[in-house]
Amino acid sequence: MSDIRPQAMRKRFFTPGTMVLIVIAAIGLAFGLARLLNGIGAVTNLDDFYPWGIWIAVDVACGVALAAGGFTTAALVEIFGRHQFKSLLRPAILTAWLGYFMVAIGLMFDLGRYWNIWRPLFNWQGNSVLFEVGMCVMAYLMVLTIEMSPSLLEGMREAMAKENFIGRALRRLEKPVLFVYKWVKIVLPVFIVAGVVLSCMHQSSLGTLMVIAPTKVSPLWYTPLLPVLFLLSAMMVGLPMVIFESIIAGKSFGHEPDRALIGSLAKFVPWTIGVYAAFKFGDLIVRWKQLNFTERPDATIAWVVEIIGGIILPFILFSTKAVRRSKGWLLVSSLLVVFGMMLNRINVYLVGYYPPFSLKRYFPAIGEIALTAGLACVLMLLYRFFANYFPIVSAESHPGAAPAEVPHRILRPEHETVRPVLAWVFRGSAVAFLLGFVVLYSLVHAQAIQVSSKATSGIPVVNIAKKPTIDTSTLKHAQRPEAYRNLYVLNSSALNERIDYYEPVRFTHRTHDVNTDGNCAICHHRFAMGPDDRIGEDVKTLHASIEVRITGAACTSCHEDLNEKKYQKCSQCHSGPNESDFPARIGLKGAYHRQCIGCHQVQPATANAPTDCASCHHPLVPDHKPLLNVQANLELPAVTGRCLACHEQTGADIMKTAHWTWQGRTPEILGKEHSATVGLRNTLDNYDISLMPNPGLTDLFHVGDITQSADWKDPTKIDCLVCHDTTSTYRREPGKPAVDWKAVAEKAGRPSRVNCGSCHFYGGGGAGIKSGDLSPALVNPGPDLDYHMGKVDMRCQDCHLTKKHQIAGLSFNAPVVEGRAGCELCHGEQPHGITGVISRHLDNHVKTVACETCHIPYFAKQYPTQLSVDFSTAGQDRTGIPQLFGKPAYDKRYGEQTWGQNVVPVYRWFDGSRQNYQIGDKINPRTTVVLNEPLGDKHNSRARIYPFKVHRAVQPYDSEQNILAAVKFEDALWKDYDWDKAIGEGMKAMGASYSGKHGFAKTEMYTPVHHEVAPAKQSLGCADCHAPQSVSCARCHTNAAGMNQPEHTRKVYPASAGRFDFKALGYEGDPAVTGGRFYMYLKRGLPPR
Amino acid sequence: MGLDRRRFLKWGLGAAAAAAPKLVAQEAAPKLDRQAEAGEHAGCLVDTTLCIGCRKCEEACNRRNQLPRPAVPFTDTTVFRQERRPNDKAFTVVNEYVGAPSPDQSTAKQTYVKIQCLHCLTPSCVSACIVGAMVKADDGSVVYNPSICIGCRYCMVACPFQIPAYEYDAVLKPRVRKCEFCADYTKGTGADPACAASCPTEALVFGTRASLLALAKDRIGKRPDRYLDHIYGENEVGGTSWLYLTGRPTKEVGLLEVPTYIPAHKTESIQHGIFRYGLIPLSVYGALGGLMWFNLRRAQKGKTSEGQGGETTKGESHE
Repeated sequence: MSDIRPQAMRKRFFTPGTMVLIVIAAIGLAFGLARLLNGIGAVTNLDDFYPWGIWIAVDVACGVALAAGGFTTAALVEIFGRHQFKSLLRPAILTAWLGYFMVAIGLMFDLGRYWNIWRPLFNWQGNSVLFEVGMCVMAYLMVLTIEMSPSLLEGMREAMAKENFIGRALRRLEKPVLFVYKWVKIVLPVFIVAGVVLSCMHQSSLGTLMVIAPTKVSPLWYTPLLPVLFLLSAMMVGLPMVIFESIIAGKSFGHEPDRALIGSLAKFVPWTIGVYAAFKFGDLIVRWKQLNFTERPDATIAWVVEIIGGIILPFILFSTKAVRRSKGWLLVSSLLVVFGMMLNRINVYLVGYYPPFSLKRYFPAIGEIALTAGLACVLMLLYRFFANYFPIVSAESHPGAAPAEVPHRILRPEHETVRPVLAWVFRGSAVAFLLGFVVLYSLVHAQAIQVSSKATSGIPVVNIAKKPTIDTSTLKHAQRPEAYRNLYVLNSSALNERIDYYEPVRFTHRTHDVNTDGNCAICHHRFAMGPDDRIGEDVKTLHASIEVRITGAACTSCHEDLNEKKYQKCSQCHSGPNESDFPARIGLKGAYHRQCIGCHQVQPATANAPTDCASCHHPLVPDHKPLLNVQANLELPAVTGRCLACHEQTGADIMKTAHWTWQGRTPEILGKEHSATVGLRNTLDNYDISLMPNPGLTDLFHVGDITQSADWKDPTKIDCLVCHDTTSTYRREPGKPAVDWKAVAEKAGRPSRVNCGSCHFYGGGGAGIKSGDLSPALVNPGPDLDYHMGKVDMRCQDCHLTKKHQIAGLSFNAPVVEGRAGCELCHGEQPHGITGVISRHLDNHVKTVACETCHIPYFAKQYPTQLSVDFSTAGQDRTGIPQLFGKPAYDKRYGEQTWGQNVVPVYRWFDGSRQNYQIGDKINPRTTVVLNEPLGDKHNSRARIYPFKVHRAVQPYDSEQNILAAVKFEDALWKDYDWDKAIGEGMKAMGASYSGKHGFAKTEMYTPVHHEVAPAKQSLGCADCHAPQSVSCARCHTNAAGMNQPEHTRKVYPASAGRFDFKALGYEGDPAVTGGRFYMYLKRGLPPR
Repeated sequence: MGLDRRRFLKWGLGAAAAAAPKLVAQEAAPKLDRQAEAGEHAGCLVDTTLCIGCRKCEEACNRRNQLPRPAVPFTDTTVFRQERRPNDKAFTVVNEYVGAPSPDQSTAKQTYVKIQCLHCLTPSCVSACIVGAMVKADDGSVVYNPSICIGCRYCMVACPFQIPAYEYDAVLKPRVRKCEFCADYTKGTGADPACAASCPTEALVFGTRASLLALAKDRIGKRPDRYLDHIYGENEVGGTSWLYLTGRPTKEVGLLEVPTYIPAHKTESIQHGIFRYGLIPLSVYGALGGLMWFNLRRAQKGKTSEGQGGETTKGESHE
C-alpha cells in the first residue's frame, strides 16, 4: 500500500477508444464551428419559446452537477478528515476542473454574444441568479485551478527531469514553478474550503434559475426549494461520480481500482441519496395537491423514471452490501445516480418547461446533440491526457514509470520549509483576498436591492401630465397633399397630430343624413354651449327640456337654417385622447372611427356602408423619388419598366382592362351578351367614326404607346404616367413640348380629374365635343357646375370604383363593362329622406326616374358640345363660317356642325341594355341608323327614365354591302378628300372589306348624361315636368286641403317648357294626371284626376 | 468512523438547514410595492372591446422600429387564422378570438387583442438579466441595451408573458427584440408610442398609469355589461404598465393567467437572503474551515500519540 501514490500513467495516448472519441469530438466541434459561422438558429432547434436547449440543460446544468465529485471529495477528504480517500481526490479534482472548462466552452457556443462573456465582471447585476452562477463558476474555476496546480506542477517537475526538448524548455521555468508550488501548498487549504463554499453557492443557484418562471415550469418540479434540491442532488451525485470514474479510469489504464476503497466510499452514498430523497419527497408531499399527473403524460413518465430510477433504485442498490462489493454493480448503481441527476436537470430545464403559446415541443437538433457529445469526448480525451502525463491517478508504482534520478533540487521542493508564522501570514492574506470578494459581492447585492426597488436612474423622466401643448395651427401633415387640406373632408389638426398613412376621408353629410333618417343627434350628440365649452350638453336632454323628443324625423324640419349656421365641429370637444380635464372623452380620431364603424357595421348591405378601411381611406402614395432612384432622364419604355419593377402584377392587370384591350365583355349589349370582342376596336361612332385606322387618335386615347400590332402585348408600352401624373405637365398630344419624364415619374400619385380628363374631356377631338357633361370645366368646377366635384371635390374614382385598374362605369361607345357606378351606391334607394313632407313622393320617383334626370337639368354648362355633324359636306373650302357658342359651324375636316350649350337632355327609358353598332352590321340607309340605342320601356320594371345627349350625323357607308364605313382621316381623307380611298384604308385597318362605293347615311348616337350634377336646389321641380294643377296635395290627401305648397307648382326652369315628352315615353299624357308607375306600385289603380 | 459519519451528517445537514429557511422565506424579501410610485409611469390602456383588428398598430410599430416588411401585407386579415406571437420581426401582433359578444351585445363577436411587452412594474427579465442589459427606465418602459448583452436568453426564460424574442438567425450580433415602448421617441417629448398614435379607434390610450387606471375604472363603472370588472395588468405579476379591458374572460382572449405576486421576488429573495452582507457564505466558510482545522489537529495528534512518523506531510496520511 505504501507505494500507492499519484503518478502519471504513461500509456499510449492514441488507442482505438481515443480515436473514436476524437472522431466524435471532431464532428461535434464541426457543428460548433457551423454555429459560429451561421448563427444559433442554423444549428439548433431553439426558438422564442424554448430559448434554452440541451446546451444549457446538459452542457451547463448537468456538466456542473457532474463535476460535483470535486467538491464533495474535497470536503470528505480535507474537511471531514477522511484521509483514506485521498487517492481519489486528484482524479475528482481533475474531472471537476475539466468539467468546468467544458461548461465554459459549451456556454460560448450557446451565448449569442459570446464575445461579451466578460461583461458580468464589470456589469454587476446582483438580482440575477445567472449573475451569481456566472461569477461563482468563474471563481470556482480559479479555485479548481489552484487545487489542480500541485498535480500540474508535479507533472512539470517530472517533465523537467527528462532530457528532451520539453524538459529543457521547462527547466527555464524552474524557479517560478518551484515558487508557485511552494506557496500553493501553503495556501491550498484556504482555497479548498472556498471551493466547497463556492460549489454549494452555484450548485444551488442553478436550481434557483428556474424559480423565476413559476408559470412555465411544471409543478412536478417547480418548487421554491429547487436550490436546496439542486445542491443536495449535486452532493448526492459527487461520490458515485468518483466511483464511476475510478472504475472506468482503472479499466482504461489497465489497473485494478482499490475495490475496498471505493466500497467504503460507497457507504456514504445511501446517506447522500437519503438526504436528497427526504427533501425531495418532503417537498412533493407538501405540494401534493398542486401536482397534476394526467395533464402532461410525457412529463409524468419522465418524473416517474427520475424518482424510481434515479433515487429509489440506486438508494436500494447502494444500501446493499453485495452491491458495494461488486465492481460491476457499483458501476451500474453509480450510473443510475448519475442518470437520475441528469434526468432531473433535463426535466427541470426542458421536459418540465412548458412555455405558453408554444405549438411544438423542443427536441434537440442533430447539431446540438453532436456538440454536446463532442464536448463530452473532448473532456474524456483531456482526462486521459492529464492522467497520462501528470500525477493524477494513484496506482502501485512500477519501476519503469518511476522517475529516474534527476540531478536537480527540483525533486525535493517540499523539504524547503517555510517558517510557520510566514505560512499563516500567507494563508491569512488568501483568506483576506477571499473575504474581499465576499464583501464586494455583498455590496453588489446591496446595490441590486436598491436597483430592484427603484428603477435605474439616468434616463430622463417623461412627465406625461405635463405634456407639451402642440400648436395645432402651425402643424402640418407632411405626407398629406396640400391641395386637400381645406376641402370638405375629415381632416383636423387633432387628427394630423397623430401619425397615419392615409389621405383624409371625404365625408359628406348628405349621404349620411339619408342613412340616419336625418337624425343629426346620432353624431352630434352633445352641444357646446360656448366657444370654450369642451364638454357640452347632451342634445337629447336639451330637447327634452323643451319637450321635443328626437326621433328619426329630420332635424331640418325645425332647424331650417342649419346650412347657414356653422356646425359645431367634432373637434371642438374631441381632440386628443385621455385629456386631463375630462379623461373619459375620447379623442377626435377615436370619435370618428367609433361613430363611423359602429353605424357601418350595423347598416344593411343596401346602404353600401363599407366596412373595410380602404373604402373610406385612400392610402397615401409615398414619395416616388427615392423609390424611382434614377439619375438620368428617362423615355417611355424605361419609365414603365421602372414602374413595373416594383408593381409587378400591375402590368398584367392593366393589359386585361378595357383601357388597354379596347374590347371585352359586354353583357348589356343586345345580341352580343356573350361576346368578349366588342369595343373601340370594332365599333363606330358619330364623331371620329373610328379610332383604329387613325394612329393619331389611338395614340391619343390609348393608355399605351401603341404604334404597331405587337405593341398590344408588350407591357412596357403601358403609359402609367398618363393616369398617375400629378404635376399636370404630362401630355401625350403630338406637337406638345417634350415631357420631363423623370420629374413626372418622381411625383407619381393617385389619379385626379385632370388625369382622367386628359382623355375623357376631349372625346370627339376637342373639349366637351362628345360628352357635353364631361369637359375641362370639371377640372376646377364651381359647386353650381358640378356639386360632387365642385363642392366635395370628389375624384372620378370615388364613383368609378377601381379594382386592379378595372374601372367601374358604363360607356356608351366604348361598351366594355368593368363594374357599375351609380348614384345609389352612396345615396341609397330612398335618398330624399331629409327633403321634408314630399320626400316619399320623391323617393317613389327613384323607381321610375334616374337621379340624373332631375338633378342634371342642363349639361354642357361651360364648354359647348357638338350636336350634329355632316361628314358629307367635308372637304369644301368655305369662307365666312358662322360661329355658334364660339365654335365654327363648318370645319373642312368634318363638314357642317351644330353646337349647343346648356343643353336640355333627351329623356329615354333605359334598363341597362342597349344596342351597339359593330363594324359589319347591316344598316338600312334609308332610315336613321341608331348606333347605340338605349333599350327599355315603361313596362319594364328595371327601366328608368334617363337623360341623354343625342348626336346626329351624316356619315359614309358602303352602299354595296350596306354597312357603315370606317374612315382613315390622317394622311388619307384630309389629304385629298378622296372618300373611297380613305374608306378603303379605314376598312382595311378595321379588318373589313370595302366594295369601293360609298354613300352617306344618317346616324344617331346616344351619350348618357351623368356628370355636371346640379346642387339640390337647382334640380328640377315638380312643375318642370308635371302639370302644375296635378301637383296638389289635396288631390289625394283629402285632409290636406289648403296645405298645397306654392313652390311645388312653380317651374324651376320656366324657359325649357316641354322638357318632357311623356307621349314619346309611352304615356297617354302627364302620368301625374293619367297615372304612372307609382300607382302600379301603390296598387291604387288610376290616380284621381 | 461512527463518530465521524455522524459529524459529517450533522454538518452537512446543518449547512443545508441553515440555508433552507432563508431560501424559502419569501417574507425576507424587501417589500417592494411599485403600484404607488408607478402611477406616474407611462402606460397604455388597451380596450379590447374597441379594437377592430385593423393591424394599424402592427404597421406603425414595424415602421417606427424599422423592422423588415412582412411578406403578408398589414391589410391582410387572413393572418388571424392562427394565433400569432410577437417575434424578432414584429414587436406587437393583434390576434382574433371569436366568441360571444359582451352581455349587452354592444361588442362584436370577434375580440381582437393586441399583444406586446406589457412593461411589468417589476419585470422578471430585468431581474433575470445577468449584466443589466434589460432596464426598467424611470418612465416605466423596459428597455434593452444590446451593447452589454451576452446573449444568454435568460430574460426569455424569465418572462411570464412569453414576450422577448431572439434573432436566432443573426450570426454575430443577435439581439433580444421586444417592444420598448418607443422609448427612443417618447423620451422627453410626450409623444405617443407609434401603436397608440396610429390606433384609429383609440382602443389604445397612452397616458400615466394612474390616469389610465382611473379611465379604465370609469369605463367599467359606466358600462358594467360591456366590460368585465377586471383590469388585466393592474395586479398581474405585481402590476404592468400596459392595461387591458376585456368583455370576455381574459384567458379566452389569449391573456395569460399569471400570478399576482412578483415572480422576480422569488429569486431575488433567495439571492439576497443568502448573499446580503455575505453572512451565509462566510458562516459556512467559517464552519467548514473550523472543522477542517479541527480534523487536521486531531489527525496530527493521533499520529504523534501513535508515534507513526513515517509520513510528515499533513495531507498524505492514509488509514
